[in-house]
Amino acid sequence: MTAIAANLTPARWWHNRGVRRFMRHHLALLGIAMIAVLVLACVFGPYALPYDSLHIDLRARFAPPLSGHHYFGTDPLGRDLAVRLLMAGRVSLLVGFSAMLLSTLIGTFVGVTAGYRGGWIGAALMRTVDGFLSFPSIFLVLALAATLRPSPVMITIIIAVTSWMEVARIVEAEVRSLREREFVHAARMVGLSGRHIMLREILPNATGPIIVAASLTVARAILLEAYISFLGYGIQPPLPSWGNMLNGAQQYLASAPWLAIIPGAAITIAVTSFNFIGDGLRDALDVRDDHI
Amino acid sequence: MSGFLLNRFSQSIVLLVIVSMIGFTVLNFMPGGPLAQFGLDPGMTQKDIERLAEQLGLNRPLWIQYFDWAWRLVQGDWGHSFRDGAPVLAVIGRHLFATLLLMGTSTSLAIAIGSWIGIRSATHRYSLFDYCATVGAMVALSVPTFWFGLIGIYIFTLKLGWVPAGNMYTIGDGSVLDYLHHLILPSLVLSLVHVAIWSRYMRTATLDALSQDFVKTARAKGLSERRILLKHVVGNALLPMITLAGVQLPSILTGALVTETIFTWPGMGRLFLDSLGYSDYPMVMGLLIFSAILVVLGNLVADVLVAFVDPRIRLS
Amino acid sequence: MTEVYFGSSYSRRNALRLMVAGAAGLAAPGLLGTPAFAQKAPAKPTGRIIVGLGQEPTVFNPLMAHIEVDDGVHFSVFDALFRIDPKGEIQPNLAVEVPNLKNGGISEDGLKWRIRLRDNVRWHDGKPFTAEDVKFTLELITNPNFRSWRTAGHALVRDITVISPTEITWRMEEAFAPYLSFLTETFIVPKHVLEKEANPNNAAFNQAPVGTGPFKWSQRVAGDHLELVANPDYFGEGPHIERLVFKYIPDLTVLYTQFKSGDVDLVGQPYITPDHCGEARGLPNRVVTLVPRASFESFYLNLERPQFKELAVREALYAAIDKESIIQGLYYGVPTPTETFMPRQSLYFNPKLPLHEFNLNRARQILDQAGWAPGRDGIRAKSGVLLSFANSTTSGDPLREQVQQFLQQTFAQLGVEMKISNLPAAVMWGEFWQQSKFDSVIVGSTYLIGADPDVTNRLHSRSIGAKGGRGSNNAQYSNPEVDALLDKGARSFDPEARRSIYHRVQELVRRDLPFLPLYQSNAVQGNKKGISGAVPNVNTRTESWNALAWYWAS
Repeated sequence: MTAIAANLTPARWWHNRGVRRFMRHHLALLGIAMIAVLVLACVFGPYALPYDSLHIDLRARFAPPLSGHHYFGTDPLGRDLAVRLLMAGRVSLLVGFSAMLLSTLIGTFVGVTAGYRGGWIGAALMRTVDGFLSFPSIFLVLALAATLRPSPVMITIIIAVTSWMEVARIVEAEVRSLREREFVHAARMVGLSGRHIMLREILPNATGPIIVAASLTVARAILLEAYISFLGYGIQPPLPSWGNMLNGAQQYLASAPWLAIIPGAAITIAVTSFNFIGDGLRDALDVRDDHI
Repeated sequence: MSGFLLNRFSQSIVLLVIVSMIGFTVLNFMPGGPLAQFGLDPGMTQKDIERLAEQLGLNRPLWIQYFDWAWRLVQGDWGHSFRDGAPVLAVIGRHLFATLLLMGTSTSLAIAIGSWIGIRSATHRYSLFDYCATVGAMVALSVPTFWFGLIGIYIFTLKLGWVPAGNMYTIGDGSVLDYLHHLILPSLVLSLVHVAIWSRYMRTATLDALSQDFVKTARAKGLSERRILLKHVVGNALLPMITLAGVQLPSILTGALVTETIFTWPGMGRLFLDSLGYSDYPMVMGLLIFSAILVVLGNLVADVLVAFVDPRIRLS
Repeated sequence: MTEVYFGSSYSRRNALRLMVAGAAGLAAPGLLGTPAFAQKAPAKPTGRIIVGLGQEPTVFNPLMAHIEVDDGVHFSVFDALFRIDPKGEIQPNLAVEVPNLKNGGISEDGLKWRIRLRDNVRWHDGKPFTAEDVKFTLELITNPNFRSWRTAGHALVRDITVISPTEITWRMEEAFAPYLSFLTETFIVPKHVLEKEANPNNAAFNQAPVGTGPFKWSQRVAGDHLELVANPDYFGEGPHIERLVFKYIPDLTVLYTQFKSGDVDLVGQPYITPDHCGEARGLPNRVVTLVPRASFESFYLNLERPQFKELAVREALYAAIDKESIIQGLYYGVPTPTETFMPRQSLYFNPKLPLHEFNLNRARQILDQAGWAPGRDGIRAKSGVLLSFANSTTSGDPLREQVQQFLQQTFAQLGVEMKISNLPAAVMWGEFWQQSKFDSVIVGSTYLIGADPDVTNRLHSRSIGAKGGRGSNNAQYSNPEVDALLDKGARSFDPEARRSIYHRVQELVRRDLPFLPLYQSNAVQGNKKGISGAVPNVNTRTESWNALAWYWAS
């Protein structure tokens, strides 16, 4: 959340109008508030609760929510679900943010290169983007997760590697249209290097769509992490993540439904918040976008 | 027109080659491989496993394996499953019906509900309905589908007992009613996300259409709002929808991956997961190519349809 | 069938009760678990039984490389020369007698075999079954172009000669006692159908098999179920049901839910999960039984890792495993603790092995004495080797993951660091397992083929895959005495001599601890009330080994 706010301030041309419109968007504000609460809870919450997220106590298995000090109950190994949920939140949110940063970097790099260079390099890059896009993304994710040892860092990389294409497409289109504008021509006339033009002249003008795409990528990354961990290919125990807390919860659906309901609700809240923010940003930055 | 098609065709071929190369490489670099399933068999010796690797051609260099596979594909031979030797295309065919049934039902549901919500949101812009629809769509887009499926099973099967716990039909029954009964929950779960997408697009498209000049003209002519809506607005809003439908065609394969597993649905998504689990290379490659062809087809159909509906767009 | 309930701790008495449960269905003289009250079985095959399975059977040619779940179909559609009964005794099936040294079926040196066959067997298409089919089958297995399943044993067969339609002989390259057991899992395929096929790997037969068994192939809905129908001309007793359906339900929870709702009549592999066992017992009109399986679960070590080279470490780790909590707590008392890979139902099971005792202090003492001292971070080390290792199992197996996390916590108290690093099944059991690239693994697997006690493939030093060996001794266990005993046992046809050989093997393995024994599994098998004749058989890999005897009690 802070990352986004920080990104908002330095830009110039849409500053006043954009922020005002963004603030007008109640849902986006709600999203920011919810993410703030989630982040604060995940960072400080575990210290406030009297349990350790890894401590196993077989005598306290399957305590339902609100029994004793277990506000959210306990899991099949008798660990406090509330602490685990918050610890898991750290992992899931961190993976989501980092994957977003990484995939935005990759996507922007590919998009700018393809858009500015054009020619066969551009064509080759964009056909690769198409190629990646026409894979069932779950195939790439599962195959990579099976190949690499699934640590949080690896999962982040895997998610980033499989979700940079949207950003690349958006940026490429933007750059291609900016390339022929006067200020770029002017820069070229002055004799500025290609790299300088790309980074200093074109990129700042494409920040709007990038930021929007990025905020939606966080949402997708969190979902994707949950998805692969649910299938057992993701973050490995005992480190909790929202996704791997759901893995295995299915078999206790009848006897201990809270094991499935609580982490799922956490995922939904986080993802919804990011989607709210992304939508608000889209309005604020006046980005016309064909992707949801 | 023929120039357009030719261009499109050559682009598609390039795409298929890229997809197949990436897929083949990734698949083969996955450790384990198709013989891992025999790792725990007390009677399979290391010698047996080496023999099978030799027979399946796994000992050859990767590029030879790839060209061998690709050359056969060009000739129309999709290969045979490593597991049971069944022809890949026939196996895909056998799983296609189940997936089409599920996806068809849920997509129709999504289009119907989504369009209604979208149009109503647009015509009642900034109303309570519009507001709820917006929030609802965003939440729906944020719920993990598998989790939604689990919760659905918990409520409607375990607690209420209204719908079966999965399967496409009851063995020995298989009447239309039986199919429908089994379809309810999985198609609802699957359509959730699509309702959200469709309603958002429909809302935007309708708003666009409403602001067009011909709507103003129609209003000036004194046509009823209802008539304007049905004839001019919806017709124009449908145009981008066709593109969307085309683009969504490939999700037939992956759209239902986990839903099919949770609901014991014998479709392609589950076939894909199973085949990946056994490292059944020919099967996985076949499914990847199949889905890539759908992508290509989907885009093409969308483009052609749009041009057909709207003569202002020329295919060139 | 008697329901088995396990007391909280290991005891001989419980083991006995288990044996009784296994044998209860055999009280009657009929072979193969033909039910004691067979007269109640309907005169004509009636009704349908749906077996729910967690994996999809896809390989229907029984000679092709396949996995456990395909066995149920093979047993129902095909026949082998012999069958193994629940007591572990080999009975004739397509053969009229079991060859042995006494009846001259096997020569004194164990090299010449002679099999006499039934003359009243017909294939499902009406053609008679003859010795030519047996010859064709044995030759197909060793055909280098055919993707056959196990070839061990078969590769030793030479000079197959058809004496008459009902008699066949061959010579073995060397004496190999387990071969008789192997033949109980070698189903005979029809020569007249398969010889016409250019490529046996892609034959149409593989998708619509023709056998001699109690059930005929009917139809298959890929990805969903397959249906077999009664073979009215079956040469033996049965079948008593008209239709046998194998239904594929990939999710274990859904499998159980469908058993509960009645969509599935009988839960097959991988059975009801232990955490549903208690609830399942309370279901109305359902019979839930604990059925012993040969699968042996262990904390499997890679002995070439410097951490595990020393016996003291292995002993200490074993003493630090709280088996009681794992079995009673995490597994709801379903499996039976064990000290050996040999199923306790086996004639060769050694009941005198020292019993495991959970004792953290003793574990600490052992490590202290062996010189593994805790470092600054609390993890023990000795001459530069840190007592830290990874443990892997198939990912997405919640119960095993719970065991891992539980052990991780106990080991940490001991100053031993265990990291969890799970892999998808398709990765886990490939090179990682076969070439010993793991530190430690939690694995459940069967060691025996049929009821034969030969475990050369698992424990002989010649069988270490990572060292170019032929088998799956992936712990890289190497003990010359065990090697010698295994070589001797494989050549001996005398059950008494073999018993003492394999008792000694178990003793040595229990002492050396190449793997830390956890338990022998019991399947929580469930079926609808009214299904009779289903008898468990620890010597086969499937619950459907005797579907021919199943029937609905009216």
